[in-house]
Amino acid sequence: MIHFDNVTKLYPNQSRPALENVNIDVEKGEFIFLVGPSGSGKSTFLRLVLKEERPTEGRIHVAGKDLARLTNWRVPLLRRRIGCVFQDFRLLPNKNIYHNVAFALEVIGKPRRFIRKVVPEVIDLVGLEGKHDRMPDELSGGEQQRVAMARAFVNRPMILLADEPTGNIDPATSIGIMKVLDRINRTGTTVVMATHDAAIVDSMRKRVVELEFGKVVRDQSRGVYGQAY
Amino acid sequence: MRAQFVFQEVWTGLRRNLTMTIALVVVVAISLSLLGTGLLFVKQVDNTRTYWQGKVEISVYLCTSSSVSTQCRQNGPATPAELASIKSDLSGLPQVEHVYYESQAQAFQHFKQDFSQDPSFVSTVSPGDIPDSFEVKLKNPTADFSVVAGTVQGRPGVDDIVDDRSILNNFYKLLDGARNAVVIIAIILIIAAALLVANTIRLSAFNRRRETSIMRLVGASNFYIQLPFLVEGVIAGLFGWLIAAGLLIAVKSLGLDTLQEYFTFNVRLSAGDLVEVVLLTMIVGVVLCGVTSFLTLRRYLRV
Repeated sequence: MIHFDNVTKLYPNQSRPALENVNIDVEKGEFIFLVGPSGSGKSTFLRLVLKEERPTEGRIHVAGKDLARLTNWRVPLLRRRIGCVFQDFRLLPNKNIYHNVAFALEVIGKPRRFIRKVVPEVIDLVGLEGKHDRMPDELSGGEQQRVAMARAFVNRPMILLADEPTGNIDPATSIGIMKVLDRINRTGTTVVMATHDAAIVDSMRKRVVELEFGKVVRDQSRGVYGQAY
Repeated sequence: MRAQFVFQEVWTGLRRNLTMTIALVVVVAISLSLLGTGLLFVKQVDNTRTYWQGKVEISVYLCTSSSVSTQCRQNGPATPAELASIKSDLSGLPQVEHVYYESQAQAFQHFKQDFSQDPSFVSTVSPGDIPDSFEVKLKNPTADFSVVAGTVQGRPGVDDIVDDRSILNNFYKLLDGARNAVVIIAIILIIAAALLVANTIRLSAFNRRRETSIMRLVGASNFYIQLPFLVEGVIAGLFGWLIAAGLLIAVKSLGLDTLQEYFTFNVRLSAGDLVEVVLLTMIVGVVLCGVTSFLTLRRYLRV
């Protein structure tokens, strides 16, 4: 599903590469944690998958497509198959829950009837039934993150990228978020989650890829966060 | 669905930076109406020029007993023999279309007609004061004046030769100058309008960076992301054009047509001319706003 082949990413004006000779294979339906300290290259990895950045060297395949050969106008089509969740939720403050989720479908031109049918289903899936009309600032952090996950998942993507989704949320609420991610993963969606949260990684017992200074230092199935942290 | 979404976005965008939008509409309106005024001027000058082109003649004024030039005082008034030879020489030239003799009595009649509103001025002039003349119509007025003038210049009985064009040229110079000034100001304002469009769109893109970043993230096409901004620019342009169209109609009906009443000849611009100019300014306005928005967006909304 995601295939990194000797990928190096060097940002302009920086001496050390953000990623260096990275080889990672993520299979369809896998759940993988990307761990490592800040600046270890986790976010760069996610940006490369979305083709927001281009690798300096190496090849990247996502959903069977070689990103180097993907023309610019096809990039949006790639992104429709990838959902994204962030630490800061990125909801639209002037739209209610329903419209925040529907927005993701409106802007790719889905018919209104389809939107009316699908959006409530996904809102139920993330556990926000009955809160369609709430505005984002009326919700707790955990609930806002659920809305963000509903928006990321509403178009049934093949891959869900989560960049520290529990970073702004207390540990108790984080468990609920992880349950939703697990539920999404069980529908067959590949989930890649970058995180700092040792407790979560340890409790989930999923594959763990550890990055340090842009290099893969550990790739372990059913792993833990690691002793050093 | 799509249309509704786009227009909702456009409406939000225009409302959110209302002051900028108003400034944009005003500048577009003023620049387009100045441009249109310039174009109307061009048409008016052309009309006048075509009208006169068919009428310009060379006037060969003849000596009379009251002529004051040294030449006439040396030779005395033109004799009938001199008149006949001048007339036959002029008619014989290949450049001349026809020659018409205007007697002193006829000339006085014309004079009385032209100044009929000013009888006190007419009463100071007596029939003998206005010289008789040959009105010579040329086949090619721009090229042949000097040739024709040369053949009769200085002959006994000839007082002065006047090219009607030299009188009109001053008038044209005035009109051309006014037109050029208007067009130059219009061009400067159009550049200002383009910069203002760029700024408005940039501000609008900045205001909605959250929406656009999410749109990119969920895979909205570039076209879909940019369309609301593009439509926003074009709509502002259209509003400006509407105001400009109103101003142009006013310029024509209050300005040029009123001016028309001071002339005895009819060179009034037709409604068709006005429609043509108004449509042209619309195209300029829409293209200006659309292209500027598009170029700005290419810089600020990359994939």
